Amino acid sequence: MNHWLTAPILIPLLGGILQVFMGYAPISLRRTLALTTTVLMLVSAIVLLVLADDGSYRAYAFGNWEPPFGIVLVLDRLAALMLVLTATLALFCHIYSIGGADEGNRQFHALYLFQLLGLNIAFLTGDLFNLFVAFEVLLIASYGLLMHGKGTARTVPGLHYVVLNLAGSSVFLISVGMIYSVTGTLNMADLAIQVSTVSNENLFIVEAAGMMLLVVFGLKAAILPLCFWLPKAYANATAPVAALFAVMTKVGIYAILRVYTLIFGDQAGELAGLGMDWLFPLALITLAMGVIGALGADNLKTLVAWQVIISVGTLLAAMSLGSEAGTSAALFYLLNTTWVVGGLFLVADLISRQRGTARDRIVTAPRMHNRTFLSALFLIGAVAAAGLPPLSGFFAKLLILQAATPGTQMAWLWSVVLTGGFFTLIAYSRAGSIVFWRTVDGHVENPGNLSGTVSVSAGALVALSIVIVVLAGPITRYTDATAAQLHNSSDYIEILQTPMVGREE
Amino acid sequence: MELAFALAIGALTTSGVYLLLRARTFPVVIGLTLLSYGVNLFLFSSGRLATGGQPIIGSTSQYSDPLPQALVLTAIVIGFAMTAFVVVLALRNLADNEDDHVDGYQSEPKSKPNTEEETEVSGK
Amino acid sequence: MSLPLVVLLPFLGALAAPLFAQGGRTAIAIASSVPAIIALAALYPHWPTLADGGVVLHSYEWLPALGISFSFRLDGLSLLFALLILVIGLLIILYARYYLKAKENVGKFYSLLLCFMGSMLGIVLSSNLLLMLVFWELTSLTSFLLISFWNHKQDARRGARMALAVTGGGGLALMAGILIIGNIVGSFELDDVLAAGDLIKNHSLYPIALTLVLLGAFTKSAQFPFHFWLPHAMQAPTPVSAYLHSATMVKAGIFLMARLYPALAGTEQWFYMVSFTGMATLLIGAYVAMFKHDLKGLLAHSTVSHLGLITLLFGMGTKLAAVAAVFHVINHATFKASLFMAAGIIDHETGTRDMRRINGLWRYMPHTATLAMVAAASMAGVPLLNGFLSKEMFFAESLQLNLPGFWAWLPPLVATLAGIFAVAYSARFIHDVFFNGKPVDLPIFPPHEPPRYMKIPVEILVFACIMVGVFPAISVGPLLYSAAAATLGGEVPEYHLTIVHGFNLPLVMSFAAFFGGLLMYSQRQRFFDFHARFREIDEKAVFEAVISWLATTANRLTSSIENGSLQRYAALLVISVLAVAIVPMTSLGVFVGENGLSPIDWPTLTGIALLILCALATAVMHRERFYALILLSVVGLLVSLGFARFSAPDLAMTQLSVEVVTIVLLMLALFYMPSWTPMESSTSRRIRDSVIALVAGTGMSLITLAMLTRPFTSISEYFLDNSKPGGGGTNVVNVILVDFRGFDTLGEITVLAIAALGIYAMLKNSALTPPPGDGKGHAWNRDAYPLMLRQIARPMLPLALMVSAYIFLRGHNMPGGGFIAGLITAVALILQYIASGMIWTQYRVPFRYHNVIGLGLLFAVIAGAASYAFGYPFLTSTFDYIKWPVVGKFEVASALVFDLGVYLTVIGATLLALVSIGRLSPHSAIKSLKESA
Repeated sequence: MNHWLTAPILIPLLGGILQVFMGYAPISLRRTLALTTTVLMLVSAIVLLVLADDGSYRAYAFGNWEPPFGIVLVLDRLAALMLVLTATLALFCHIYSIGGADEGNRQFHALYLFQLLGLNIAFLTGDLFNLFVAFEVLLIASYGLLMHGKGTARTVPGLHYVVLNLAGSSVFLISVGMIYSVTGTLNMADLAIQVSTVSNENLFIVEAAGMMLLVVFGLKAAILPLCFWLPKAYANATAPVAALFAVMTKVGIYAILRVYTLIFGDQAGELAGLGMDWLFPLALITLAMGVIGALGADNLKTLVAWQVIISVGTLLAAMSLGSEAGTSAALFYLLNTTWVVGGLFLVADLISRQRGTARDRIVTAPRMHNRTFLSALFLIGAVAAAGLPPLSGFFAKLLILQAATPGTQMAWLWSVVLTGGFFTLIAYSRAGSIVFWRTVDGHVENPGNLSGTVSVSAGALVALSIVIVVLAGPITRYTDATAAQLHNSSDYIEILQTPMVGREE
Repeated sequence: MELAFALAIGALTTSGVYLLLRARTFPVVIGLTLLSYGVNLFLFSSGRLATGGQPIIGSTSQYSDPLPQALVLTAIVIGFAMTAFVVVLALRNLADNEDDHVDGYQSEPKSKPNTEEETEVSGK
Repeated sequence: MSLPLVVLLPFLGALAAPLFAQGGRTAIAIASSVPAIIALAALYPHWPTLADGGVVLHSYEWLPALGISFSFRLDGLSLLFALLILVIGLLIILYARYYLKAKENVGKFYSLLLCFMGSMLGIVLSSNLLLMLVFWELTSLTSFLLISFWNHKQDARRGARMALAVTGGGGLALMAGILIIGNIVGSFELDDVLAAGDLIKNHSLYPIALTLVLLGAFTKSAQFPFHFWLPHAMQAPTPVSAYLHSATMVKAGIFLMARLYPALAGTEQWFYMVSFTGMATLLIGAYVAMFKHDLKGLLAHSTVSHLGLITLLFGMGTKLAAVAAVFHVINHATFKASLFMAAGIIDHETGTRDMRRINGLWRYMPHTATLAMVAAASMAGVPLLNGFLSKEMFFAESLQLNLPGFWAWLPPLVATLAGIFAVAYSARFIHDVFFNGKPVDLPIFPPHEPPRYMKIPVEILVFACIMVGVFPAISVGPLLYSAAAATLGGEVPEYHLTIVHGFNLPLVMSFAAFFGGLLMYSQRQRFFDFHARFREIDEKAVFEAVISWLATTANRLTSSIENGSLQRYAALLVISVLAVAIVPMTSLGVFVGENGLSPIDWPTLTGIALLILCALATAVMHRERFYALILLSVVGLLVSLGFARFSAPDLAMTQLSVEVVTIVLLMLALFYMPSWTPMESSTSRRIRDSVIALVAGTGMSLITLAMLTRPFTSISEYFLDNSKPGGGGTNVVNVILVDFRGFDTLGEITVLAIAALGIYAMLKNSALTPPPGDGKGHAWNRDAYPLMLRQIARPMLPLALMVSAYIFLRGHNMPGGGFIAGLITAVALILQYIASGMIWTQYRVPFRYHNVIGLGLLFAVIAGAASYAFGYPFLTSTFDYIKWPVVGKFEVASALVFDLGVYLTVIGATLLALVSIGRLSPHSAIKSLKESA
């Protein structure tokens, strides 16, 4: 068993514990240690990516108890991709937070690292109940982070977020209970086997459980009609937190992708492709709703928050095509959208710092101090998000459109995605031209000047969309391989044969 | 026996959901707690009901399913943490909005909206 | 290699240009012209190949998954356009040097201009349709940024956004069209597509594909009804208007039609869509141009009309028409660019573009006037100038069009009419501006000739007009031929580039147009009066109105759906759960499984009945918060009894201890909160909610029933078998928690820790003053820390500690364990806080709870990580090593350390949470201060 698999979990955990002790240490020290942790985490994620790229599944049995009895971590291409995606985003958001957003709460870095801990567990675990625990870890951390910062604006959205997710957790537990009561197991690989053999009556119990799980993941992923908690919560969160949350909805996406290709995948017999026919229309409606929200947004952060929902819709639409091409396209889009949206949140924050009381609202205000730099960042971000060439969003969109096979599905997907793209374009050009160009005379008293850390991190995140284009070749190769691996999940089941240390089977 | 047990869970869920849909934080918190009771019992019962079969080796002949018990124990702890958090959040909401409405409204419109930014633009 | 270089160079230049901005306008102009010159040089060697119908291909793999490749293709057509782009580009660079003011951001300007040049070259040179699409959208973006170069002007911003919306939107349509074509052909490479013409035209998707592609072309080339963006794009600096919006970018759509001509043209649909669009555009543009008082406005509409003319020619579908179209592309580019530059000069020298004020400039700038007049004459189609030749061809073709019956007269009629207008507005351009009396209060007076070099580009272009006009065959003959050949994909029809083809109908039409035009101009006042009757709509205002309508509607819609009501969101969540679960549950049908029901004993029944009662009562009486709380605690108590009853002692103990802490917590909360809930939600809302709740409850009951009465086998046998031998404990639940599924527990205590940290952080900065009484007029008890309580509480502490130690130690084998022990300790400590207050307790319990939490987590992790040392996976309890006598001694150790971690975390977290709540009220803090003093 390869101990590297535990690295993305132990690194943030230990880093976080360290922060707990160091509440009263000088902030510079806390920052250094916290950043080091994130960097190490990124390194470990990359190591795992290299490992996973050989296309095999690696299992890690905690406590040396063989699956399905003990809890296992499973590393495959998808897990590795998610880890790197998250770690990269996390690193830049973390650097940004060093720029001052982390003040006012001695436990910020601890919470931040625990957040990453939860995310990484979710991506790696191969056990359904442990997935629940992972969700709880990342949720409770996200509650803490969401409430971080001065002012009272985020209290109510935070309350909504928490209450809804608590209800969601209850549903999660109910579904786990139902599934266990029929299959008598919790390990996902084992579930994949058991579910395919479920007989007549019990079938319905599992089906109901599966659908309820879909709702839970849907709540995390913010699918219509469960997406309304998101815009206000994200728009009011502290910038680096909001940016990091760009990946939170993706956890829901990941869970859907994992559970519904593995447990309810093609080999699941009666339950194969459970809920996927619900997903496609919902995805398109979500996308449309996101576009409407973006058009109507009256401040930049809200605009970006709705962009999150747009991307969720697009992702799910591509995924629910059910083809390898669709999944691969979705994964490519995932990279693009997560990083870019994260970057846009940071850019919006930088903008709002320089516009006095106008903040990031889409109204006229005195000319920004660093207008050229900020407008360049915004332009890149908007182009990438709206899916215009030459940035990654365009290629992602191309992949998605091409993934559809001629027929009504294609007609729907194309018309919604393209029309949506058009109105997104209008939304961004409207917002941009008002915020950057329509200025009034006068100047803002002591505009927040751009420190190196914030501008670099925001710029870097947005610029990643260029990097994606440059590396598009290798990335598409990887996502194709990932999709292929996901779509014949029969190999995944073999992790049940993982030999235990010191025991010859 | 099973029927009674099922009804109990049903009752807990009903009250829980109803209170979850109230407009004040306190009932919502109570509702969530009730709901979690129901869910815990439910998860517990996924290992079926057994009498006098506590899963302690040697204490009895026929053991009940220990795994759901372990899961429920974890769930209880997590539920406790969550309840604590949401209670405090409710208090914070009370402190920030001077009322305990879940949407931050005040019963009597006496004070500021809960975004602390004024609406006109400076520097004109 | 040279082709990619040609496209790449301008982009490199764009990066470099700003660096020269410091060196002044001349420096940057020279620097910017370098890429264009090199590009021209790079193209030159290919001429021989192209002259005899050859094609140059440079292709590099890029994204096979996407079908995109870096493949570039040079043939006659793309060469023609590349030359237009580069040569006119160079002239513009030179012109802009004098047009721009020194204080303006020339770096940005030139860099954007070069970006555009590169993108445009990309369009015409791409051999891969998707690659072309990339450059296509890039031109939209760069044009957006160039139009809004003076972004402090509102008109510039709006014009830019309109242009972006129209052309960008068209780009999306084009994208779809290209993807369909790619699907049909199975490749995006131009050669394959051009070869597959019949396949495409006979495909069922052809109509859709064609429509989409044409949408792209029409929007870009400002065809009716999308023509409105172009005149408003004239807010751009004049060099931009001359370059993008007359010579090159607006020709991209034309280019696309020419490029895909072999693949798409020649069908009914093509004919009707293209030719009629062209006709409409031709006429409307020409008509409106007549009435524009703004110089650039006139030129803009005339551009629209000429684009319509070219489109119409392509629409006709005859080979000769295509040749004429290509020819007119060249001619229009030359005379229109020069006209724009002239207009720019006039604007520059007089400070206005209003033709009602600029008159009689002949006396002030004869040189410029001459140039402008020649160019305008060419625009009017005066013989011996290039405009005349292609217009002749156009007239001739319009006659060839064999439409049924009466319709056959339409095209020639439209052509002549447009010709008349063209002559009229050209005449106006010449006469109004350079003669027709004296200038009327010009901002800059007297105007004079511009700097020498500013006129050179105009001179060159005008010279080209004359050359082509007089010696067409030798000047453009070969270029036109190869371009036409490339357009038609091979055979070129017989055509003669001579000035007059003898006296024929087209010539008559030309004369008619010429004199008709002059007549119309002489009678212009009547037309103006006539035109003045219709109030013309300002597209920009309309567009803005539409956009802001969109925004406001979207905003209203959003806020009506996403109305920030938790009740709605929660209801949506519950309903969706029910919705998805109901279908399978109804199909489950029989709920009592084969195991059937087992008998129930009286005590259990009473307990459960009581539980149900209290649960429902809690909901019913929830307004009276205090009673609700009491009822809740009873429910919790009964639940833990239930656990005990159904053989889960650990759960029972845990539930009990958690219950205590939770109730204390809620009590504390209620201390600050209003003690009753006002009646708010309407009856209908309450009914709705009760229905939802009832459905949910019933559903849960049914599922539970279905679950409990069905047989099943689980993996638990394994735990029962291995708990003692493998885990070293007889309490299977505890062994699962600390060993089999230790990782869950690690996560669980982390959650606890995070929650405490979050709570601490959340409350640190907020303060609450509790209400003076319980809301019913009863004041709080004066004595904050009653003696009785203190007397009982203090001895409780050591007792509780002993108990918890005992429970902790036995946990592995009997009910108990770190968690329960931790809670008991915590409760005991909390009791001290309640009984004796903050200060007193803090003084005696001098821990920093953060550290306790951290320590707990650390213990757990260390216990888990210890196994690394032995090469075993994380969290392997050392009990495994019983085979190895060396470490056999430490049997239970690691599991115990892990449990110790749990114990500490629980204490730390619980106390941190409760204490931070207790601290909330300054009031209570003060009291405890008094008390401790």
